[in-house]
Amino acid sequence: MNLFFTLFRTNFNLNFGISALKYRFRKESRKIPETLLIVLGVLFGFGSLIGLYSFLMYQVFSAGLSLGQPEIVLTIAFVSAQFIILIFGIFYILGVFYFGRDLSMLIPLPLSPYQVLGSKFAIVMINEYLTALPLLVPPIIIYGMGTGQGFFYWVKSLVLVLAAPAIPLTIASIFVIVLMRFVNLRKRKDLLTIVGGFFGLLLSLGLNFWIQKLQNGNMVNRVQSLIESDLIKMIGQSFPPSIWATLALGGQGFSGFAYLLLFLLVSLLLLAAMLRLGNRFFYKSVLSGQEATRKRKVLSSKNEHRSFNSSTSPMMAIIIREWRLLLRTPIYVLNGLSGVIVGPFILVLLFFTQGSENGSYTTQQLLALINKPEFMITGTLCALGIVLFTTGMNLVASTSLSREGQTFWVSKMIPVAPKVQVAAKLLQAYSVAFLSVLVTVIMLAVFFKFSLLRIAIVFGLGLLGSLPLTALNLLIDVLRPKLIWTNPQEAIKQNLNGLLGMLISIILLLVIGAGVIFIVMIKTPDSLVYGMLALVLLLLTVPSLLGLFKAAERTYRQIEV
Amino acid sequence: MIELKNLSKSYNKGQVRAVDNLSLHVKPGEIFGFLGPNGAGKTTTIKMMVGLLNPDEGSISINGFNTKTQSIQAKSSIGYVPDNPDIYDRLTGIEYLHFMADVYRVSPDDRQKRIKDFLEMFELSDAASDLIKSYSHGMKQKLVVTGALIHNPAVWILDEPMVGLDPKSAHLLKEYMRKHCEQGNTVFFSTHILEVAEKLCDRIGIINKGKLIAIGTMAELRQGGGTGSLETIFLELTEA
Repeated sequence: MNLFFTLFRTNFNLNFGISALKYRFRKESRKIPETLLIVLGVLFGFGSLIGLYSFLMYQVFSAGLSLGQPEIVLTIAFVSAQFIILIFGIFYILGVFYFGRDLSMLIPLPLSPYQVLGSKFAIVMINEYLTALPLLVPPIIIYGMGTGQGFFYWVKSLVLVLAAPAIPLTIASIFVIVLMRFVNLRKRKDLLTIVGGFFGLLLSLGLNFWIQKLQNGNMVNRVQSLIESDLIKMIGQSFPPSIWATLALGGQGFSGFAYLLLFLLVSLLLLAAMLRLGNRFFYKSVLSGQEATRKRKVLSSKNEHRSFNSSTSPMMAIIIREWRLLLRTPIYVLNGLSGVIVGPFILVLLFFTQGSENGSYTTQQLLALINKPEFMITGTLCALGIVLFTTGMNLVASTSLSREGQTFWVSKMIPVAPKVQVAAKLLQAYSVAFLSVLVTVIMLAVFFKFSLLRIAIVFGLGLLGSLPLTALNLLIDVLRPKLIWTNPQEAIKQNLNGLLGMLISIILLLVIGAGVIFIVMIKTPDSLVYGMLALVLLLLTVPSLLGLFKAAERTYRQIEV
Repeated sequence: MIELKNLSKSYNKGQVRAVDNLSLHVKPGEIFGFLGPNGAGKTTTIKMMVGLLNPDEGSISINGFNTKTQSIQAKSSIGYVPDNPDIYDRLTGIEYLHFMADVYRVSPDDRQKRIKDFLEMFELSDAASDLIKSYSHGMKQKLVVTGALIHNPAVWILDEPMVGLDPKSAHLLKEYMRKHCEQGNTVFFSTHILEVAEKLCDRIGIINKGKLIAIGTMAELRQGGGTGSLETIFLELTEA
């Protein structure tokens, strides 16, 4: 047991970066404001989301109360929390159990598989509280206060909230352990990242639509149809623990406690089963996936000949390197490229579903409106705004230097001027922006029936405006690259530069937007508006590029690796 | 070929002096061995020479080019192998070599010959089209050595190049170093393997706590008070 706790303590420290944080506060006081800023930002973003969720849950509770079934809010909370934990848990557990870099260090230690597995499970469980607490606590408080519950209700709630992730996570673990025994997914890590990422995207989109649907129209009717529909019943039947949790909290006296005991007992039984299964299979499947895979394809003389004759300029060589590394790292594709394609699609989807839902106007009416002569310029400028917004949100430029990570020494050592290297990065990021403009413009033509002239304007100004936006995003990363990371995810998703790039892009677009609205309001001819806008974007490009190249020369010299 | 003048570098706001007023000169045609205990300042010195770290004081000249004012020319003259072969995991071996050949502007004919020779020498031809992430430490090391020498630089700067190499590859690399110097070029390398230094180097420098405490040929080092093997001399000097 002692060994388990030692392992757990080390894992806990690593997972939450406690030693790293202590070091940061003691030795790198310079970085404290940045850390605090991130914490504040996260708290603010998270807080507003919880606020919105609580408001929604309160509406559900009120509607349930008027229908005589206030417990519906608890059922919804437990079902959704446990369902989300189950689905994401599968990917999370796969990652922590089987893809962790610490495995090669842990396996030679004199530990039983169940100890390693148990400590890893405990860490996943603690992390899942981040999902469970915000989803469960507001409805529990709303129900408890709303129905005037007593002391035992709160005690039962505490136990249930703490135990809530156990059942879905043990089920996910058992599924993963059995799966990995038969299918060696370790060789398909890249594919899994892509599948997991798109799954997450789909799920969050689905959740978004569901919440929007719930918000539209009469809440009592919605909850009524929810109670009558078989959805809750179906989930309840196939996943009874969620219903037990509701009955434990809603039920009075002995029956409430009985359901609580049932909930805990099943959690413990599943945990024991998982550890037993893990003890038998965990190391076996880990070891079977250890062998490195190499194709060992000998360079054919034909291939050799072709590749040796194709020498390119240093700049082109860097562009090719950047593209290869981007396309071959799934997490970069998912965060850098998928937005370019998915973003405009979501927009179109939102437009077409929103219009018909509200009833105030139909999609057809809206389409006709956009293409009316008097709304010509408004529609075109809105489309341009969307194009530039998509470019500004892209992470390829704002994480370009950071993505080099520990390999940055190569860039420092090669005899290629920093200006040239950064220009290559700019061209790569700009080609992503080009793709993004192209996709949006095609969308506009196909779904919104834009005329050729309007398409040309959006395309031309979109490309022109994308240049300073890309340059500014890249500039941020050149000024403060994040080169120390072990997992590529840290370079693109956990990189403040991405957020800063988005922020600066939004501010810039808002300022330009305000100016444009003003000159449109004073009835400036359309062609003059476009001309002035082009001039402003062009004028913005010059200092952005000059600043970027100047910063590149300085940063590449200053950074020490 | 390599000239370091009064080179200094501190860490932690001057609290730790990693390299302290170091000066040395390595002539053309020389293999220079750079020795010292862990944390003595070897890697810091090497990183300053290749431009990865900025010296606090002093100047560095490589192949006649000042590394600060003529950095691109100086870099073109250097082939550098770091102590840790961190390279692009998601490129194939051959893609990495072409990248290096492109940025050093190696002509198609030269690169064809050199890549072929090195891959055969290190027995990497079979693995060249695999992703680097599937390579072992030793294979990565061999690939980095190939990439560093692909432009046939006048000055080789190698930070513990033998680590991870199998005996045959290490032997071939040593032969290659000797051949390179016979053509009037320079090799500067750090190592912990004293036998290698003793046998291979024309001159040896020993650094301890950031200061160069001894420099010269084996015979000169022996005259300086030490007796017997390089190991004894090294231990006597660094433990004093």
